[in-house]
This record gives sequence, C-alpha cells and structure tokens, in this order.
Amino acid sequence: MRTERQAVIVGGGPAGLAAAIQLYQQGVKDLLILEREHFLGGILRQCIHDGFGLTRFGETLSGPEYAHRFIQQVEDLGIEFITDCTVLDISHDRVVTAVSKAHGMIQVKAGAVILSMGCRERTRGALSIPGTRPSGVYNAGVAQSYINLQNIMVGKEVVILGSGDIGMIMARRLTLEGAHVQGVFEVQPYPSGLPRNIEQCLNDYNIPLHLSHTVVDIKGRERLEGVTVAQCDEQLKPIPGTEEYYPCDTLILSVGLIPENELSLAAGVELDPRTKGAYVDEYYQTNVEGVFAAGNVLHVHDLVDFVSLEAEALGNAAAEYLKVGTLPPCPLEVKAGQEVGHVIPQRVSGTRDFTLSLRVRHPLRDCAVVVRQNGKELLRKKMRKALPAEMIQMKLLGEKLSSTGDLEVCVE
Amino acid sequence: MKRTFTCVLCPNGCDIEAELENGQVLGVEGNLCPKGKEYVTQEVVDPRRTIATSVPIEGGEIPLVSVRVTQPIPKGRIFDVMKAINQVRLQAPVHIGQVILPNVLGLESDVIITKEVKSVQGQ
Amino acid sequence: MKYDYDVIVIGGGVVGSAIARELTRYRLKIGVLEKESDVCTQTSGRNTGMLHAGFLYKTGSLKAQCAVEGNAEFDQVAKELDVPFKRTGKLIVGFTPEHRERLERFMERGKANGVPGLEIIDRARMDEIDPSAGGNFAMYCPTSGILDPFQYTIALAENAVKNGAVYHLNTEVTGAQALEGGAHLLHTNKGDFTSRWVVNSAGLNSAKVSEMLGIPGYVIAPIKGEYFVLDKKAGAFAKIPVYPAPNPNNTFDTHATPTVDGNVLVGPDSLEVDDFTDYSATQASMDGLIESGSRMFKHMKREYFIRNFAGIRPKLIDPVTREIQDFKLELRPEVPGVINLVGIESPGVTSALPLARRAAALLAGQEKLEPNPSFDPIRKGIVKFSEQDRETQAKLIAQDPNYGEIVCRCETVTRAEILQAIHNPLGVCTVNGIKYRTRASMGRCQGGYCETRITAMIREELNKKPEQVELGFKGSWMFTGFMKGGAAK
Repeated sequence: MRTERQAVIVGGGPAGLAAAIQLYQQGVKDLLILEREHFLGGILRQCIHDGFGLTRFGETLSGPEYAHRFIQQVEDLGIEFITDCTVLDISHDRVVTAVSKAHGMIQVKAGAVILSMGCRERTRGALSIPGTRPSGVYNAGVAQSYINLQNIMVGKEVVILGSGDIGMIMARRLTLEGAHVQGVFEVQPYPSGLPRNIEQCLNDYNIPLHLSHTVVDIKGRERLEGVTVAQCDEQLKPIPGTEEYYPCDTLILSVGLIPENELSLAAGVELDPRTKGAYVDEYYQTNVEGVFAAGNVLHVHDLVDFVSLEAEALGNAAAEYLKVGTLPPCPLEVKAGQEVGHVIPQRVSGTRDFTLSLRVRHPLRDCAVVVRQNGKELLRKKMRKALPAEMIQMKLLGEKLSSTGDLEVCVE
Repeated sequence: MKRTFTCVLCPNGCDIEAELENGQVLGVEGNLCPKGKEYVTQEVVDPRRTIATSVPIEGGEIPLVSVRVTQPIPKGRIFDVMKAINQVRLQAPVHIGQVILPNVLGLESDVIITKEVKSVQGQ
Repeated sequence: MKYDYDVIVIGGGVVGSAIARELTRYRLKIGVLEKESDVCTQTSGRNTGMLHAGFLYKTGSLKAQCAVEGNAEFDQVAKELDVPFKRTGKLIVGFTPEHRERLERFMERGKANGVPGLEIIDRARMDEIDPSAGGNFAMYCPTSGILDPFQYTIALAENAVKNGAVYHLNTEVTGAQALEGGAHLLHTNKGDFTSRWVVNSAGLNSAKVSEMLGIPGYVIAPIKGEYFVLDKKAGAFAKIPVYPAPNPNNTFDTHATPTVDGNVLVGPDSLEVDDFTDYSATQASMDGLIESGSRMFKHMKREYFIRNFAGIRPKLIDPVTREIQDFKLELRPEVPGVINLVGIESPGVTSALPLARRAAALLAGQEKLEPNPSFDPIRKGIVKFSEQDRETQAKLIAQDPNYGEIVCRCETVTRAEILQAIHNPLGVCTVNGIKYRTRASMGRCQGGYCETRITAMIREELNKKPEQVELGFKGSWMFTGFMKGGAAK
C-alpha cells in the first residue's frame, strides 16, 4: 500500500463516488476511496424504492441502480478503492489512518481529504423518550437494512414516530411486506418529509399521519407491547389528557439525521451547530486546509441527486486545489437570515459563481428567497411554497457579487 | 368540482388544484410542469403507482436482490403484483435491468432486477 | 444421598458471582441459578459503577467494613480479573454552611471507618482537581474509584466458571424444600436441583427467597433511580465523580460520574416504587435529573444525551420504623444449610468480595473446606482494540485479521471482540450480552450501525433463526423471522 495519495476519499457512498469520479476527470488520478461496508454505494444499497436520479440522469431509478451508475464508472476508470475498511483517524496534516481485514493498519498521507461519510439517525436516547426498553424499537434505517438487505422482518403491528422520508418509505415497505402500520406521528405541526411521500407512502395505503403528536411512553419488558401517544402544543410539549394507547410490537423512529462528523472533529474541522456539518467555503473546503466535505456529512440533503451534484462541484474545487496548491480566500460570510435554517456554503470569495443551498425553518407559501449584499438585492427567487423538508438551491453569479461585504439570505 | 392532488412524479411534489367534471379534467393549477396535468388526468381515471421490493437469491454474495416495476401499475393491483413477485426465487448471478416477470399480470409493466449480484463460488 | 451441588448460589449478580468465585477456592461443586439471561441485568448492572470509599456508612456496620475492605483491595482485584478500573478520587461538594457541617461529620465518620486521605478543600483546590464540578467547597476523597459493573460482574462469573462453577441462566427458583442435614431441594422453571448448601444472594428478590428458605420477615423497599448517559464529548469535561453533600437521610442525590469508558452518568434520583421490575424512564425523573444534574455538572446538555436507564436498589428496611438497615449476612442455627444475604444494595459492588469472603467463612465454620489446588484467580478479558496504541493494534490485526474489521464504529469494537463475546464462557447469547462485554452499541449511534451486524453474527455463529435472536430479557425477540424464502442466509 502506497503511503501517499493525491486525494483520499472517506466514504464510498454517493458523495464519495461522485467526488472521486470528478477528481479523476479533472486529472487527479492518484485517488483512494475508503469504504467501511463490503460494497460501494453507501445507504443507497438499502434504498430500493425508486425516485432517484430525475435531476442527475433525467430518469427515475432505484437507489441501487443510481449507485451502480457511479460504481460502474469508478470501476471503469480504475479508481482504487478499499471496502471493508474503516477510517479510525484523520490528522490535522491529512494523514488518514484506517484498518481493514485484508490490508491491516493503513496510513496514507493525502494531498486532499474528501469527507463523504454521510449521516446517521437520531436515536431514542437523544430524544429521551420515556418508558421501558423492550426489543422492537428500531430506527427507520436499521429496520430498512434488516428488511431490504438481510431478508429479516422486524415486526407485525407497527407505529412510526417521525415523518421523515425514511419513516414514510418504511411505512410503505412494511405494509407491502405484510405488516400493519397503524399510523405515523409527527411532533411538529408540519411533516418533515416530502409531500410526494405522504401521498404515495401513506395516503395510498390508508396510513394516517398525525401531526402535532408524539410518543410519551413505551410499554413492555421483553418485546414492545404498546406506546402511548399524546397531542402536542405549540411548544411541542405533550398536552395532558390527550394520551392514547396504541398496542403494537414495533416502533419505528424516523426523527432526524445527523451528519457523521466524528472523524472531521479529529481532523480539527469546525462544525456549524445549525447543520452539524463543517463550515465550508464555496470550494467545499473546511477550515482545515486541504480537507473538503460534501453530501450528507456536510448537511442533510433531501435528494441524492443534489448530493452527487454537490460532490461533483467539490471534485472540481479539490482538483483545482491540488493543481494550484491553494485556493483563493473566501472572506465573506453567508448569513442565514429570517426564516432560513442554514446555508451552504457559509463563506464565499465574492468573485465567482457559486451554488447556494438552504432550508427554511417553517413551511411557507408565496414567498421569496432573497440574497442581499451591502444592502443590495442580488437575487430574488419567488416560490409558491417552501417546506423545511425540501432543500432549496440557487446559483449566484460572480458578476453580481462584490468582493467586500457579507451576504445575507432571507425568506420573505 | 375542485379537487387537490399531490403530484408524485417528481420530488417537487406539486400541490395541484384541478377542476373536474364527470371524470374530465377541465383545468389544473399549481403544477410546475406539464407532467402535473398528465398525472391528474391519469389519477382521476386510473391511479397508478410504482413499487419496489426484493426477491431471495441463492448462491449470491447477498441473500436478497432488489426489484422494481418499470412502469406504474394500477394502484388496486399493487398487492396482486407483490404476490406474484413473492413467488420468484432467483439464482446468482443477476444483473441490473434483467427482467424477472415480463408484463407482470398483463399490466404492461416488467419487474426488473435493480442490483448486481455476483455468484459466490462453492455455493 | 448424592446432591447435584455442594453449594447452590441463588442469584448471579455481582455478589452471587463473587461468592461463587470465592467458593471455588475450595473443593466444592458450585452451581449458580440466575433467573435472567445474563449475570448483570438487574441491580448489579444498573448503578453508577462507583468503587466506594466507605465514609458514608455507620461505623462498625457491615456496609462500612466491607466498603473499606473492598476499596483497599481493588487495584489487585482489577488486575487479577482484567477489568477496567480508575482510582479517580471523588468530590462531595457543598454550597451552604449546613452542607459544610454535614461534610465535616462525614469526614469524621470516614476517618473512624478507616477511610484514608479525606480532607475538606476550597473552590481553588476544586478547580485544580476538576473545574467542571459545581459547588463552593468539597470533601475530597482520594480513594474512591470508578469501574464497569458489567465487566466486573462478568469477570467474577467467568472466573468462577473457569474454576469449576456452573451457571444456569434463565433459571428461576420457584420453591424450596429442606432436606435432611441442611440440604435443600430447589424447584425452578428448569427442573429441580439439590444441594447441601444454599446461598441466597437474590438481590431484589432476596426477601422472597429468604422466606422460601425458611427465614421470613424481611422487608425490602425497592428504590428506583434513573440516570442519563452522556456522550464521551461531555466526558472530556468530567475528570472525577462529583457528588452533592449527602442529604439528611445519609444518601446521595443526583451526582455526575465519569465512567471508565469516558462517558458521564448523571443520576440517580431516588423514588420508592412498588414494582421490583419497573425500569421505565419517566418524564418527571428526566426533567428532575436535568435540573439537579446541571448543578453538579456544568455540561449537562441535551446534545450530549445518548441514553437513559434505571436501576432499583433493594433497601432492607425496618418494617415498623422503615429505617434503612445494614446488609444482612447470616447463617441461622435453626435454618441449617442456608447462608442468607438480604438487602445488599449500595455499596454492593464495592463490597462483593468482602461479603463473599464472609459468606465463605460462615460455611467454613460449619465444615472443613479443602483448598482447590487448581484454583486460578486470574481471568483474561477480551482484548479491546480501541484501548491499544496503533502499533499494538497493527499486531492484533496481524495475529487475527478479525481485529481489522470494525463492527461498532462509535466505540471502535472489532469483529474479533464480538466473536469472543458471542462465544463467552457463560453462554450468554443476547444482543445486550454482547454489548456489556464489548461496548458495541453503547456509543452515540446506539447500535444504528452495528446492531444489524451483531445480530447477523449471532445468527451465523450460534446457528440461530432470526426469531431466536433476543435483545436482552428472555422473550425479547427481535424479529418475526425471514421475510421470504426462509432458507436464505
């Protein structure tokens, strides 16, 4: 194993694969992808439903098919990858330490490190849901893995907490495979997943969605016996007296995703508390020189197509960095203003085009996303509706930007 | 009569308000693209959906392979198609796009493999 | 008459396992009957993991004697049994003059009990020791320490097994019948057992078992305490256990304790309950812990919460005054063949081996015990990949490539460790059993990554069907079975 590489890509999911291919096509060919699973493709391998690829490929594909297009290209280009290989550490000076059964302990000094580790699910413990600890409480992605990868069924009578897309998609999967899903409960007054999934995963199968409801108690010593659900007020606090008991053997949690940044922290990468991902500039470079991030490790996306596009933009930028040895400074801050939950990137140069990604805090109708600099309106995008479930992207043109003065993004 | 639809054809998930009369779509509003009208027109007479599931596979490096329908099938036939797919048993290797049930139940949609599965030697 | 065992120990918690191990020093056939699927699923595993110093307990009490004795020997014990242990010391902090007065009283008591090194320190000294501790002043107790109660209990049990003891898991005693000469016939859900001696170390059920064995009248109050487990990111701030000044009942309220693995435990609160099996977390307790925990630990933040759990302390109380009693350890002449331990709660983990020696001494007072010449006090645990330096890690992988496959990414647990845990000497095969032995799934993703892998390994290694895989308690099935095909791997 060579101990120096132009770029090491941590994670062979959609972001890592797209970044690697783009780097290669930009002439950076001395690459190494490290993937902890046995196969490339990341979470897409278990997302067997269709609906992927409309933006990126102009057709609708299942997750494994979407991933395969990139895997095929990686293989065709001869980009080196190691699977069953877990990265243990990334140092401040970009030495990546990893282990695998086949290669033992690997240490590689990388010209650039691409962080593409994806995200993980928020758990019951993080929410502090009261109750006992029986079996039968599964995170949606874990249940998806059992059902779609291991051929194992997790239960029969199901309640789902959280209206994230994976939760709704699992409601449909479980129903198709013979389980009975009693309902989806969402603490917020609005759904956290996409409208089409409410329609085709819940409504189509007569699965009720209860907004402003949460699970306040879990019952059962051995296997789950039931959950108590209560209505919530505007502060998301359960309203006493509204409790209702649902006998069930399975509780599926789809209560949010958290970018997986433990390795980024080890490398000295600073995280944005809003995205829980790195602060990046328009080159997707973090505060640590030569360390780049894209995909769900940077901010949780709604669609994989945007992950690929973002990682491809990262690939271009990282290639430029490796060729030139440095990237132009990005001193201007992009601030998340009124109704904006977060923005990516958080810093820009003010001299060239960049893609702005953001999410709104609340569902809004007939609004406009407005970008201002030095009091001047740079861009106004009108929207019929804006949902927290959807990532909004727009291109800002360099010619409109000033090289001084922070930017502010608002929704009005 | 006015009725609201959520278009499922793309992630935009447009809320479409349609003016209907005797099963005829007189006009639609709220769709970002022409597909919205097509969707509503289809939805009114014969709602169709795609489904994805998986099939056990022998001799492969994984125990299950994912499959999907190539064209939307009538909503009312989803569980019939599931039943048909659940009868299928496969032998590795299989390839993406391989048809396992052509024209499933005569619904003008094929069931295809969506994952590459190599065979494992010695099995 | 021939008996199944010379000694049957009822209850395989930390005390029962310590007794079993202690008795294997002699030529005795030892059986342990444990009603749960593992040895540390109840009180032994549901506590702070504190090696107590012994200043809290009444001078001369069994609690004081055993805690001081158990504390003093623990470096040696941890070495023999290859279990993690840190002698961190402890701060018992106060805010008011009344607290100071109480702390001074406990310092005096501690000195009388033989606890070394106690001193009252000011805020400046506290900041040197741990700036994240709350309080204006503190009693500093240098001998207190932290251990992993799961690993310790498991180690005692494994060492007992290594020296010849036999564990019967999922075996609940349902009745007892005295035979001739102090021998007993025990009825269980797994059939009958006979033994010349019976040791009751049934913990929460010790009063019930005591009555079965012919010693009625004990009253146990189940006192429930809930905890928060905080992320290791919070653990970076916690260097030393921080306890509040004892309340007027001489017990501790919510405290914050680093664990040997680098997490932080905040808790327990204290609530008398009716149910000996109710380990549910309650909203009221959680809210209370957030409030009281924040006073002890300045980094009690929601983003660090990874789990909650509850434990129940079986407090032996006076049936009339309801005053909490000392540990009961007895051999009554009118009930021969029965060594009875009732009301063993905190400081039970610290006191386990001292109690075990005292139990063995009671037995030795009745018959001559021959030493077991092959007794080996040394037990080797699973070598933890995450605790090694890079060079040793590389060597481990070279010796066993399974050390190169990370199964639990949060706690960096390898396939090699999981395999050793699956084939553990006690024959425990639950997902939680693997967790207690390796820490897999104890991290911040709570098994999101590794649980699917661990259940697959349990199925493969032990040739189990999906529906036979259990989370923890007997009956805690995880799957209904294969979805399709059935025969698929």
